[in-house]
Amino acid sequence: MLEVEGLVAGYAGTPILRDISLRLDRGETVGLLGANNAGKTTLINSLSGIVTPMAGRIIFDGRDVTRATPMQRVEMGIIQVPEGRLVFPEMSVRENLLLGGFCDRARPLRPRQMEKVLALFPRLKERLSQPAGTLSGGEQQMLAIGRGLMAEARVLMLDEPSLGLSPLFVQYIFGIVDQLHKDGLTMLLVEQNLNLTLRHAQRCYVLERGHIAVEGAAEVVKNDPRTRQAYLGL
Amino acid sequence: MSELWQALAQGVFIGSTYGLLALGMGLVYGVSGVVNFAHGDFISLAMFMCLALFSAFSLDPYVSVLITIPVMTAIGALVYRFLLRPMVGYKFLMVVQLTLGLSLVLQNGILMIFGGQPARTPSIVESKLIILGDVVLRLAHVIACAVAFAMAIGLYVMLRSTDFGRSIRAVHQNAHAAALMGIDVGRVQVMTFALGIGILAVAAALLLPGTPIQPTQGLQYTVITLLVVVLGGMTNFVGIMLGGLVIGISEAMGTVYVSDTLGRLVPYAIFVLIMLFRPQGLTWRAS
Repeated sequence: MLEVEGLVAGYAGTPILRDISLRLDRGETVGLLGANNAGKTTLINSLSGIVTPMAGRIIFDGRDVTRATPMQRVEMGIIQVPEGRLVFPEMSVRENLLLGGFCDRARPLRPRQMEKVLALFPRLKERLSQPAGTLSGGEQQMLAIGRGLMAEARVLMLDEPSLGLSPLFVQYIFGIVDQLHKDGLTMLLVEQNLNLTLRHAQRCYVLERGHIAVEGAAEVVKNDPRTRQAYLGL
Repeated sequence: MSELWQALAQGVFIGSTYGLLALGMGLVYGVSGVVNFAHGDFISLAMFMCLALFSAFSLDPYVSVLITIPVMTAIGALVYRFLLRPMVGYKFLMVVQLTLGLSLVLQNGILMIFGGQPARTPSIVESKLIILGDVVLRLAHVIACAVAFAMAIGLYVMLRSTDFGRSIRAVHQNAHAAALMGIDVGRVQVMTFALGIGILAVAAALLLPGTPIQPTQGLQYTVITLLVVVLGGMTNFVGIMLGGLVIGISEAMGTVYVSDTLGRLVPYAIFVLIMLFRPQGLTWRAS
């Protein structure tokens, strides 16, 4: 469904990612692992069109989207739930969700999609008119995921969804990931948390300083000694 | 006592128009971080357009507005798209320099076409008065106040409850996240700037009746607008309208109670005083 071939990307002419190739099949949950500074966020931002690749190709649904703008990619259903949630703090939960469904494709479907999201996150339903900035970290993560789902995501890319959350909330959020997987959503889980991701993804890629060090089924990645190496920077 | 009421009423009427001028600047600052030092010269431009339309077709400013709004909006869009946008994101001072340069270009352009003599644009409401007890109000001021508040409320509702309005607020609160929602941030910035300049066309028509205009007046309007925006806390909608009223009332009080020339200093003195004690602006919200 989503394919990356030989991607080189970075900032201000300095490549951070070197020769990245990966793929996501329909309905799959794929983990993208790596320590800090491995290039995870650069990669997810290249997929969202925020970072323009210097070389390589990104193919979505058989179409070359390497040069597509962030807006065009959202329109196609490539949706990012950013690191640190980035909810709109001065807007209500409801307004945040409405903005999630801003793109032309999702806009007419907003009422129905809103119902689905609120059924998935009953907590948000209780807080609909509350400013998003007053929510707890866990609730903000629910809102960020809900907002992503409002866009009728075809590929949902979650950047560090466990970051800064209490263990209880991490459990809850990953429970939601499992549920979305069961519903057939294609997901990319970008995480630092190795064991957690290996439990919830079918396949994983491990990034190490801008290139893919290990890839394969979760079990294989788990037992590959290079995975630990990539993490410890040995 | 009647003097006080007179000054208050006049202050509220002028202040509401100042508030409207400042809303445009505040909106633009909120979504693109641009402080437009040519703001007042765009008001001049709109006023002189009204003058030209009167000279050519004897149009009343209240009618000319139907022409100046789309023209000013288009000018705003072009200026942002081709002059400001390439600079936004670099040093803040470069943008300030650019808008200051633009101010000089506009000022001298107007001077070249219309000459330096103070001019007047006649309007049917110019000499109409409304008398309420001891207070004498000019009809033009009453109309200005009503329209300014109606537009402020309209803008507020637009920002609150339309998708376009929500996209403006989203870009203001977090441009990166807004882009991830599929909002075209650049387009929102162009449209907001165009909107801010379009509003000036309305403000110009409201200020025109009975007010002499000259090409060099722009800076004075820019400074007044800046005072109001800063008082209002830069992006706070209610704060900006409140700031407009504070500046308008202090200006009116100054001219009534202090001498005519010295009275013009009163709004600036009040501004400095408020800033000394409330550097965050008039509104109470902690950020």
